Amino acid sequence: MTAMTPARADRLTGIVLAGLGLAVTAGSIVMDRLPERGVDPWSVPGMVPGVLGVVLTLLGAVLALRRPPAAAHAAPPDDAEERRGKRLMWLALGLCLFYALVLVGRLPFWLATILFVFVFTAALERDPADPPARRMRKLAVAALLAVSVGVGVHLLFQELFFVRMP
Amino acid sequence: MLESFTHLASAFATMATVTTLLNVILATLFGIVIGALPGLTATMGIALLTTLTYKFEPNQAILVLIGCYVGAIYGGSRTAILLNIPGTPANAATTLDGFPLARSGRGGEAMGLATMASVIGTLVGVLALAVVAPILADFALGFGSYEYFWLAIFGIVIAGQMTAFDDPLKGWIAGVLGLLVAMIGQDGLHAHARFTFGSTELAGGIALIPALVGAFGFAEVLSVLRERRAELATRTVGRIWPGFAKLWQYKRTIGRSGVIGTIVGIIPGVGEDIGAWVSYAAARRASAEKEQFGKGSQEGLISAETGNNAAIPGALIPALTLAVPGSAPAAVLLAAMFLHGIRPGPTIMIEQPEFVYGVVWMVVFATLSMGVFGLLLTRPLLLVLRIPRERLMPVVFVLCVIGPYAITQRLFDVWVMLAFGVIGYVLRRMSYPMAPLVLGIILGDLLDKNLRRALMLADGDPTPFLTRPISMVLWVTTAALLVFGMAPVRRALTRLAGMARRRRGARDADQPVQ
Repeated sequence: MTAMTPARADRLTGIVLAGLGLAVTAGSIVMDRLPERGVDPWSVPGMVPGVLGVVLTLLGAVLALRRPPAAAHAAPPDDAEERRGKRLMWLALGLCLFYALVLVGRLPFWLATILFVFVFTAALERDPADPPARRMRKLAVAALLAVSVGVGVHLLFQELFFVRMP
Repeated sequence: MLESFTHLASAFATMATVTTLLNVILATLFGIVIGALPGLTATMGIALLTTLTYKFEPNQAILVLIGCYVGAIYGGSRTAILLNIPGTPANAATTLDGFPLARSGRGGEAMGLATMASVIGTLVGVLALAVVAPILADFALGFGSYEYFWLAIFGIVIAGQMTAFDDPLKGWIAGVLGLLVAMIGQDGLHAHARFTFGSTELAGGIALIPALVGAFGFAEVLSVLRERRAELATRTVGRIWPGFAKLWQYKRTIGRSGVIGTIVGIIPGVGEDIGAWVSYAAARRASAEKEQFGKGSQEGLISAETGNNAAIPGALIPALTLAVPGSAPAAVLLAAMFLHGIRPGPTIMIEQPEFVYGVVWMVVFATLSMGVFGLLLTRPLLLVLRIPRERLMPVVFVLCVIGPYAITQRLFDVWVMLAFGVIGYVLRRMSYPMAPLVLGIILGDLLDKNLRRALMLADGDPTPFLTRPISMVLWVTTAALLVFGMAPVRRALTRLAGMARRRRGARDADQPVQ
């Protein structure tokens, strides 16, 4: 699968933004004008969002229809380092979302944090070429870091700042 | 005049305590470390510290945040010089000459010069803060709804243009998106819920701190992991103490960069990074050693580091006197001031003048602390640069989660942070600047209330928007910026400039040699 060129990405973004602008404008037009409260027609709540919606529609249309800069037609690099970066980013995104949306609020915060920091560090530092001794050392460092962060954050916020942790 | 000195002296007496000393030392050191760590920016550091200091006494809390701000903008120069990647976006221009100097074995000298340039730059800016802030606040007392409306539009247009100079359209789009985010929740005039889709949490609006922590914290975690690793230019740095004769030699460059950095800082939303680039470009144009720029020019390095640090006090001027931040980190500072019951705006010089002069001393203390740490802590900072990002980023993300939660103790703010992180990352990959987005979130309320108030006052007549003197200056400048930012106009101007150059070249060639 070839990566999207910046020119194509801009065109698609322009269409999405113009659509968003139209939706905001429509939402502003149908927004309550509060006639029962005798609100001045120039100060209705939908006035400014409506104007901004029109502006966003115009800017989105310009982005979608403009002649893109020459450099925007070049496909982004796809070497091994780039692929590695992409993989790390997706892995990190998945772990971060799982921690913030699933673990936090279901487990005690300190425990969720220890699990997250350990798995994040261990997974991102993992290198199949590592000899077993080095692998164990990395895992030990990840565990130490995880426990320090989990306990440290708990003590700092819950005990010192009296924040009721999620 | 005498009154100003009295306030300044009284602010010094209030601020000069052991607690201040301790807080400023720790905060500046924290800031330097945050700035030195690739991917962690001043905005993010201040946003995270805001949550750690919200139970502090207001003056001390703002002192800690300013210490972090000053330290972080400086700390990024270490990374720029030794790793060739800017520790914060404000240090991008520093890499051009800092890294070549380090590679040629003069890393210590480069760090010493960067330290002294940063100290002097901040002090130039702080002088402007002490002098200009009261004048601007006094001037802004005459602003009505028409002027505030244009100020908000001007801020978005100029921030969009200057933070996305090659493609202002994307800067403007980011700004309008920020303004639209500010429209979510109860409106400021009639308390009517807009775009809340029945959610009680959305009715409270999108808070700035979770949005900022997402756009500058979570988005940065993802960006840093996506980028390539960088290698240290050198493991030995040599002598770091700067030659003062060298600084004296470049006194004009330092003075010019300090003034440029401060002015750029004052412009809404246009922060330290642009301050550095504009100072660098001006220094290069005026330099007798132009050809050395980009190859290890000490003058280039000095101009960039003076320019970015001078923008810090510059950015605080509109934040304090107009409640319009001059940069993204100043936007967080502004939010923190509101959290602590401080009311920035034109009346601050009437209601809380000691606070403004207190801020002057906070910046001075942080600058001195930064200078001392910069010159003494060379080797420990080298160790900081070697922390693997795989170990640092999960810790940063945990702070991104707990930070917004700690202020309001609602999980909704964590979700806002996540949403802004993902959106911020995607926008960043597509070259949309984040500063206009943040500025839009702040200016949205100002724009909304003042446009509607002004229309009510004028009964829909647009004439006062265009004819009142300050409004006229603002709308004419905004219109000019918009026209010159349009791609066809820029292309036509470039063509015209090329034709003029060719014609001049041909004329010079035709002239007989005397």
